[in-house]
Amino acid sequence: MKKLVSIFLALALVLSLCSFASAETVEEIIAQAQTMTNEELYKKAIEESHDAVVAGVGNSSRGKTAGASFVEMLQSIDPTYAGSIDWQQPKNNSIFTMLESDINNTSHQFFMTLIQDGNQIQKKMLDTGYLLNFVPKEWAEAEGVAKENNENPLALQTLNKVFEFNNCGEKTFKNCWDFVAKDVHTQFMAPNSEPVGKNFLYMLTREDYAAVVKEAFDALSDDQKAYFQPTIDEMEAEAADLGLAGENAKYALAWIKLFVENYQEETDDGPICNNLVAKTAVDQSGLLVYSKLRSIEESEELSVNNVTVAAYQDDYVGFGGYAYKHYLMVSKTSPYPWTACAFIAYMTTTKEGFAAWGKDMGGYAPVPACMQDHSKDGYVDGVDTYPAKNDRGYDWWINEGKLIVEDPAYAASVADTLGDWIDALR
Amino acid sequence: MVAAACPQSPWKARFNRFKTWISKPQNAILLILGIILTLTTVFPMVTIVRDTVTVHNGSVDARNAEPGQVYTTYNWTDLFAPQTSTARKLATKNLWTPLLNSVLLSVFACIGAIFYGGIFAYLVTRTNMKCKKYLSSIFIFPYIMPQWTLAVIWRHLFNSNAVTGGSDGLFASLLNIRMPEWWCSGMFPCAVVLALHYAPFAYILIGGIFRNMDANLEEAATILNTPRWKTFLRVTLPLVKPAILSTVLLVFSSAMGSYPIPHYLKLSTLSTKYVELNVQRAGQASILAVIMMLFGFGILLVNQKTTSGRKNFTTVTGKSGQSSVVNLHAGKHILAVVFILTTLFTGILPIIMFAMETFLPNPGDYSFISGGLDHLTTKWWLTSENITENGMYGNKGMLYNSQIWSAFGNTLLVAILCAICAGTIGTLVGYCVSKNRRSKFAAYVNNMAFLPYLMPSLAVGVAFFIFGSRIGIYNTILLLVLTGTIKYIPFASRSALNSMMQLSGEIEEAAIIQDIPWWKRMTRIIIPIQKTSIISGFLLPFMTCLRELTLFMLLCSQTMIITTMLDYFDEMGLYAFSSGINLILIVVILLFNGLVNKLTGASIDSGIGSDSK
Repeated sequence: MKKLVSIFLALALVLSLCSFASAETVEEIIAQAQTMTNEELYKKAIEESHDAVVAGVGNSSRGKTAGASFVEMLQSIDPTYAGSIDWQQPKNNSIFTMLESDINNTSHQFFMTLIQDGNQIQKKMLDTGYLLNFVPKEWAEAEGVAKENNENPLALQTLNKVFEFNNCGEKTFKNCWDFVAKDVHTQFMAPNSEPVGKNFLYMLTREDYAAVVKEAFDALSDDQKAYFQPTIDEMEAEAADLGLAGENAKYALAWIKLFVENYQEETDDGPICNNLVAKTAVDQSGLLVYSKLRSIEESEELSVNNVTVAAYQDDYVGFGGYAYKHYLMVSKTSPYPWTACAFIAYMTTTKEGFAAWGKDMGGYAPVPACMQDHSKDGYVDGVDTYPAKNDRGYDWWINEGKLIVEDPAYAASVADTLGDWIDALR
Repeated sequence: MVAAACPQSPWKARFNRFKTWISKPQNAILLILGIILTLTTVFPMVTIVRDTVTVHNGSVDARNAEPGQVYTTYNWTDLFAPQTSTARKLATKNLWTPLLNSVLLSVFACIGAIFYGGIFAYLVTRTNMKCKKYLSSIFIFPYIMPQWTLAVIWRHLFNSNAVTGGSDGLFASLLNIRMPEWWCSGMFPCAVVLALHYAPFAYILIGGIFRNMDANLEEAATILNTPRWKTFLRVTLPLVKPAILSTVLLVFSSAMGSYPIPHYLKLSTLSTKYVELNVQRAGQASILAVIMMLFGFGILLVNQKTTSGRKNFTTVTGKSGQSSVVNLHAGKHILAVVFILTTLFTGILPIIMFAMETFLPNPGDYSFISGGLDHLTTKWWLTSENITENGMYGNKGMLYNSQIWSAFGNTLLVAILCAICAGTIGTLVGYCVSKNRRSKFAAYVNNMAFLPYLMPSLAVGVAFFIFGSRIGIYNTILLLVLTGTIKYIPFASRSALNSMMQLSGEIEEAAIIQDIPWWKRMTRIIIPIQKTSIISGFLLPFMTCLRELTLFMLLCSQTMIITTMLDYFDEMGLYAFSSGINLILIVVILLFNGLVNKLTGASIDSGIGSDSK
């Protein structure tokens, strides 16, 4: 009996030592994966998750569609592959709690995540080391890849939220200050219900973006300037209190103050879009995801042509909206790190992998080859029927549309002070 | 003789007494339930309190914390003793205003529910009003339906582009009537909708008393020439006071924890603020949940006092079996019409409007009224492809949407498991407590089982959210079943306790003399006798679970159960989907209610009614 016990213990010791010796950390696997081609990664994924159900979590429900496409692709390489992806979309910002809880548990389920909100990602996930960045080799070497602001953390896509207004009345919006003018209540998702909106407000205070706000202010008529000037003057001291040293910070703060105090809160961009396209929504405006226009069914009451995208007007001045990103990251306790890397590579470097999002205008992958052309989405039978739906593309929106683009590091650096200030405004 | 020479040690004597005590099944079960209920009720509460002093990564409390610091008092001081003007503004906005709104909303909801439900109860039970049977069934519809139903209908009816912004509702589109803002959103509509939702509570509780009230007292007052109003104020009203108090206690806590109604109708309350604060101020959000819990404790204490008072009152009054019916003359027709119209708005209109919404081409697009039926569509039901055009956002029509049906399946599973667990535990609590009526421990177990019911749903949800996240069962059916079971045990325990109290001990004693084992006594004697009440104890958790959102919304992903999915579609503005799901839910609940009523004679009414004692 004693002998048996000793043999059993010895075996257990040897096995555990072997497993320790062969176990690679997720960081090590990512380091190796970054040097591999997609084909090599797919093979590793097939080996690792051949019969497994792997759990992913993300802010976009389309992760599920992408997951199904990924599994199909793996099955085309190895028909015996029987793995699948169980995609979960948590509610009300609880993705951060879910990830933190999963990572700190003794057993782990999430292999990767598709996540948004740069500020919280920086503070809750990157600074803590909970999520790890993986840059696919084929992404880094892709032709024309937009690496700036997209590499760390790795962005799946940049999404734009743009100013739109109902054009059934007389009112026009030619300047970004028009959206904070007297008696204007631009429809917007509350910044605390969708924090990327709050990040947009943080980003406005970065000096280069504050300069855009100032430039737009300079283009206003004297009457309009006279209306805004007292608020701008009031913000000079606030800017100093908030530690914003840039010379144009007061313009950004004034715009934020007026916007936060006056926006009309909606639960989602869908209702905002439905509201704006109604012929009864005379003179109303909104700041919403551009792609929502794609989902309107034309009727007697509702039409995409009832809406103008503010930045598409030739004489529009100022920023035309803002941009946020969907990031793809590997959990530091990922139970299937190779599959995570392969899935990320598939979504960020192939047209099929990005297809779940690629069919929408207003979403831009850093690798041009993944993108579909949406510049003529408003054409019906060769006729430009709905001009608002003709997407002018990422470069246009960044350079001409002057989108305010989310930067996790900057947003996180000002969130503590600016966050309280914004919350206290309304 | 030996025993006298060697006296038993006090520990041994105690142990023997315990052994004798525990050998009775009702005591053993009571002990086990006491431990389980203490752990499952107290532990999550402790977790939530601990969360208020825990440093959260990336949250405001981490700002002033040293690296590695685990605990902080920042959340409490920032809310209750703010140092800067910004902090003071935030404390008002994040704590005091929502607290005031929550209390006012609960008070108004209580007043409204008692007024509306009480009058209706009086008319149904004590007058010759017409159409009683129909009105009695339709009146409880708002309670059977999901809580947010009337809030959504309110928006569809009264919102207007000119006042609330967005698209015009039915009143504005069809009648060109634009209601003022206070009518469309904020305290007024929230209070009205909550009052309408909980009025059936008042109707069932107060109606139960009216139905069984001793009419001799009122007759005596009439003989003594007392004016009718004085008889009502001095005789009738005091008799229904216990039922009014019960309604107040139950409606107050339920209204305080309501999330969907203030969320849809835009009122800042503790529950809506909790969700908002959870992004950057998780610790402060937990403080709001603790405050809601404290209200629950307060209500429990008040309940304790009023329950004991009520017992004495009932003994003095007794039952004569007589009841007098007031002749309303022409009013019996007028009042019936008034209530038929009112219940049309609260019971029938929601079903019609939900059904209609699923055939509109775009949310709120009533172009079919001017353009004809061609402007209606079946796409929300029949689209079998995954398309993003035409407002479908990549969703298949409801009949082909596997996500919706899978969520519906999960909801049914959770509801069945909750009903089985809560029903069984609650019945056992009722049985064991009735067998130990004078035991303090039994009273403790009874209170522990009842406490979660008096806790606002969101507070219980928050407690289990933090608890579940810590032990790694977040987003699992297990967590939903655990939470639902704890929250709904009171339905079964109250129902079982009330019925077991009526059961004479001799019945079981006869079986004990015959040496019949405990399980056989339960399954062959106790349960068959009290079948209806016990089934109600299983049915109520099932029905409530089917339409539960507030309790579960923090515990699972959006697509896991049907109510979170409905909420997701609603927030996305996909009202056709949310209306369709609402419709399916209402039909299923009504079908189940009718089916169980037919098969067993038990119904939601009898379950709630049994609470009136």
